[in-house]
Amino acid sequence: MTRLICALLLIGGILTSPLAADHQLKEFFATHCIRCHGKEEQNGAVRLDKPVDALLKDVELLERVANVLESGEMPPKEEEQPQADLLSGVLETLQVRLTAIRPTNPLKRLTRSEYTNTIRDLFGLDFDFSGLLPPDHVEQGFDKFGEAHLMSPHQVMSYLTTARFIAERVLPDVKPRTRTWEFDVRHFHGSKNFATGGGGDYRDGDDYVLTGFRPYRSNLHFSVDTQSHDQFTIPEFGLYRLEVMAHSEKSKEGEVVGINLGDGRHPTSFQLLRRIPMPYGSDGFSTELTLSAGDQLAFTYDSARVPGRSLAAKPHTGPAMRFTKVKITGPLIDQWPTAAMQSILPKAEMRPAELVDHLTLFLTHRQMTPEERRGIVEIAREQLKAGTSMAGTARIVLTTLLTSPHFIYKAESPELTAVERAYRLSYFLWNSAPDTELFNAAKSGSLVTAPRAQVERMLNDTRSSRFIDDFTRQWLQLEKVDDFGPDVRAYKNVRRMTVDSMAREGRELFRHMLGNSLSMENFIDSEFVMVNDRLARFYGLPEVKGDGFVPVNLPAGSERGGLVAQAGFLKLTSTDFATSPIHRGAWILKNLYNERIAPPADVSIIEPDIRGTTTIREAILKHQQLESCGRCHSKIDPLGFALEYYDPVGRKRSEYRHVQELPVDPDGTSFTKKLEFELRPIDAAMTLANGREVRDMLTLKAALIADRELILKGIIGKLISYAHGRELTRADRSHVDEIFAAIEPKEFSLREAVHAIVGHAAFGLR
Amino acid sequence: MTRRAFLKGTGVALLLPCMESLGQVSDSDSPRRLLTIVNHLSFYQPKLIPREDGMLDQTLPLLSELSDHFKHLKIFSGLDNPAVQNGFGHTPCVGILSGYFNKLHRRNRISIDQAVADAIGGSTRFKSLVFQAGENLNFSQISWDKHGLPVRQIDSPRKIFNLLFEIDEKEKLQQQILAENRSILDAVLAQASSMEKRLNATDRSKLDEFLTSVREVEQSVKRRAYWADRPKPEVDYDLEGFDRKSVDDYVGTLLDLAVLALETDSTRAVTVQIPFWEGFKEPGISGNYHDLSHHGQKPEKIKKLLMLEHGILNRINNTLNRMKSKTVGSRTLFQQTTTLLTASMGSANSHNFDDLPALLFDERIKTPGHWQKKDVPMSNLYLGLLQLFSPEQDHFGESTGAFEVLS
Repeated sequence: MTRLICALLLIGGILTSPLAADHQLKEFFATHCIRCHGKEEQNGAVRLDKPVDALLKDVELLERVANVLESGEMPPKEEEQPQADLLSGVLETLQVRLTAIRPTNPLKRLTRSEYTNTIRDLFGLDFDFSGLLPPDHVEQGFDKFGEAHLMSPHQVMSYLTTARFIAERVLPDVKPRTRTWEFDVRHFHGSKNFATGGGGDYRDGDDYVLTGFRPYRSNLHFSVDTQSHDQFTIPEFGLYRLEVMAHSEKSKEGEVVGINLGDGRHPTSFQLLRRIPMPYGSDGFSTELTLSAGDQLAFTYDSARVPGRSLAAKPHTGPAMRFTKVKITGPLIDQWPTAAMQSILPKAEMRPAELVDHLTLFLTHRQMTPEERRGIVEIAREQLKAGTSMAGTARIVLTTLLTSPHFIYKAESPELTAVERAYRLSYFLWNSAPDTELFNAAKSGSLVTAPRAQVERMLNDTRSSRFIDDFTRQWLQLEKVDDFGPDVRAYKNVRRMTVDSMAREGRELFRHMLGNSLSMENFIDSEFVMVNDRLARFYGLPEVKGDGFVPVNLPAGSERGGLVAQAGFLKLTSTDFATSPIHRGAWILKNLYNERIAPPADVSIIEPDIRGTTTIREAILKHQQLESCGRCHSKIDPLGFALEYYDPVGRKRSEYRHVQELPVDPDGTSFTKKLEFELRPIDAAMTLANGREVRDMLTLKAALIADRELILKGIIGKLISYAHGRELTRADRSHVDEIFAAIEPKEFSLREAVHAIVGHAAFGLR
Repeated sequence: MTRRAFLKGTGVALLLPCMESLGQVSDSDSPRRLLTIVNHLSFYQPKLIPREDGMLDQTLPLLSELSDHFKHLKIFSGLDNPAVQNGFGHTPCVGILSGYFNKLHRRNRISIDQAVADAIGGSTRFKSLVFQAGENLNFSQISWDKHGLPVRQIDSPRKIFNLLFEIDEKEKLQQQILAENRSILDAVLAQASSMEKRLNATDRSKLDEFLTSVREVEQSVKRRAYWADRPKPEVDYDLEGFDRKSVDDYVGTLLDLAVLALETDSTRAVTVQIPFWEGFKEPGISGNYHDLSHHGQKPEKIKKLLMLEHGILNRINNTLNRMKSKTVGSRTLFQQTTTLLTASMGSANSHNFDDLPALLFDERIKTPGHWQKKDVPMSNLYLGLLQLFSPEQDHFGESTGAFEVLS
């Protein structure tokens, strides 16, 4: 912080005086801007003829002005240009002004995943709350941004319902009875039973065989008895162990089985609970799941190879999954009373205020003021007075506390207290509340003086996986990989598990780099890729065994390596059968350069290889020339076009496959539209805004490497905004620069970047 | 196909409650109501929608099923559900009542039935009721609240009936939970108000959203508690058993329940989705409804499909007749109710979303007939409809204007 203030004073000293600087700014606007951004015209809805005092209060406007002046977008090329020293003087004035205003960091509430993890760590309750809590809505950046957190009656009601759900389950009145159920082929049912008949699954001796015919329908579910088709239903909430005897046949590799929630007779509404990779030669698996009363389970054969065709004419000869036995045991209880029960009610009898204070500390490590807790203590008192049991009273108090803003919101002081700092760090690296050791470190002050030991401990803990998952999911938008297609008519060989593996690659690269202190430059280009069996095959690399990801060195001449060569990125920026250079370019700008770009409000994005390439390329080049479009598109389009040699699923191609849907034959029997393909040449060469030409993957990566500093700072910016829960502004530039400088001597290690962010003075500020 | 008698008895004991705090309904009142019927699989339009604009006649066989109500019927055809691209399968059907589809954005997703319910649903036991037969599938969600979140669609006639008329066995527990909720919300509200005092202005506005939301939840809990204390209306209606899944039976029962819900003033906005998925079979017809709707222009399939569609429209016709025979307060149920019949697709055979039909029944319509509205957004009709209930509204979904639905 001291360094920052010195820097400010220094800049302030160079300039003659704030007043003179403001005058200079006013003159500059009058000469260069006001004709188009003044009384007569307000291009882009920007108006700069207001008094300087008023302008200087509008942080957003100043950001925008500084950005366009710095990049040379304004004044427009055809207008008279300001002299270089004048321009840099004005930029300095703006920067000083912007740095002086500390960006606001609005109050944040727990995101759904933070809530889920916090509950898991507090109560040992490993439960997916996505059915109870609404998803967090993110337009830009991360769901951790307080800016984006909406509150609605629905959200509040969901908090209350979820809180009661939790309280009732962690504090039950009676000990549940653990039972065991066993199922075999006599109870098994598959797709054979649908009203439409048909289906590729069948009984064979002691086994039930899933072929994966029509993947969304093929599933194995089991009935309560051998006579009926009434599905087995979980009787009460708890942890259940599933032991499944199953093996694959006619397969030379590991296979994947999915465990789904839902009625197996109507499998379109399945919710995937877990994917179980079964190594080659495996004869089954055992896993534990937290399930609710009324849940029904069904298994799917997720790595099936059968495309959606009828098996009536030709029997299935490919790989299949044979199920022999399913054994379910639960609810599992390792001790009674449970650990959660003991920590909620450490004594048999507690006074109302004592109970409330105990639970408040247990949940948040912060006490409420007497005024804040008064109503809650009153509830406890009335319950006890009315004869409610201690456990019953604790349930209501717990429900209230879990619904209260004291728990839901993460309030932060301008300078974080020790506890608040522990929370920020913990929600950064574990996506959950701190543990005792972290609190102790925070309270002893060592989190401020020597955070390294705690950060190392946290990164080495398995809980850091939650950070890796949550950060990469949002940064790389990996959940969108499976949003579109690919259209089965055009991409017959891309299977579900290949797409699934694509969606995991970015995350696994991050994990590997973080775990091994590798350079962040590997995000731009790398000599290795992280692959599993399916992805190695998809990329044409030497064979890898198993579903887990391992680093594989790339052969000479391979264009893979780096985020932009990952199939997941190339696919998520494409539609059913067309690539979208604009999406790809925008993704690179947003996620690597950390630039803020928003799609135009009313313009639909045009897909090049679906409607003819030459004209679309021309159209795109043309709209680069229109000032309003060109501002962003001259930056976006070249980056995306350079990737046109990669098709919608991320495979190398040498020409476009122009796709046309043929009209449905009105007298025909099928409503599926047939496709017609036509090959067309690719012209991917374009010039970047800085004058550099890019024409394919290699020249693009070279251009990105040339921009290494910008991109690494962009990614550092992403990490900081995730950690601090807010968008970065120009005021944060020195912060980003300092992190960059701190990790430069350490070869830009990703792990060191995390250390530097936590160690920076700004980590202790709101 | 069997046709059962609709109501075993017609005596419906009306128990119109008086709610001091939530508004009153008395005999002299004549509240407005909305019945929305959506057929996911659409209708065979060549036999339903006239080629020309203007007066309706009995030349089209499907349309003739509704001839009892030609005087009060306006048909709009060719409507468009924008932002839908081909290749999405059934998924865009979730946006039929929103006149809009974007699975990534909640903004703008409120459906017309909920927009109307927000305007008129204040004083009844349920703000709205949404019925759908059969299992809840990903793309059968059509009702969305103002936050863009899905509204519960009840999928079993038994559950609907119990909700409306049966005494809840868990009533005691429910009452206890509601009372508990109220004191919890009170305590939370007090905690938040006190916490608010030590926050800065930005944070205070954030917490204020929370406070406002808590107060709104308190209101709805109060409403539930109020109604939980009041006896449910008594009706003399025998609910069919549903071992055999027949579209005709299901539609008939759902529409019966819709009329009963409106008649007993349990709610003023009912939405019914006609069952469409596999598993619904008709005795005497081979092939299921979903399969037949994808007829591939095969004459024998179309013939069977038309049998089903005749059955559905016949049920709707009878329902409208029954609404004309029921008096609630001072006027008939039909006079108080605007009925919208629409379809999620233009034709299930081609899975298109740009040739949508909408049939509007309202006693106040001055010039009945058919109007083709090629490529006009569905939202324009919805805005016109919404303005009947809430005249100050000037925007709905992707609307570019408003239909004058009663002219």
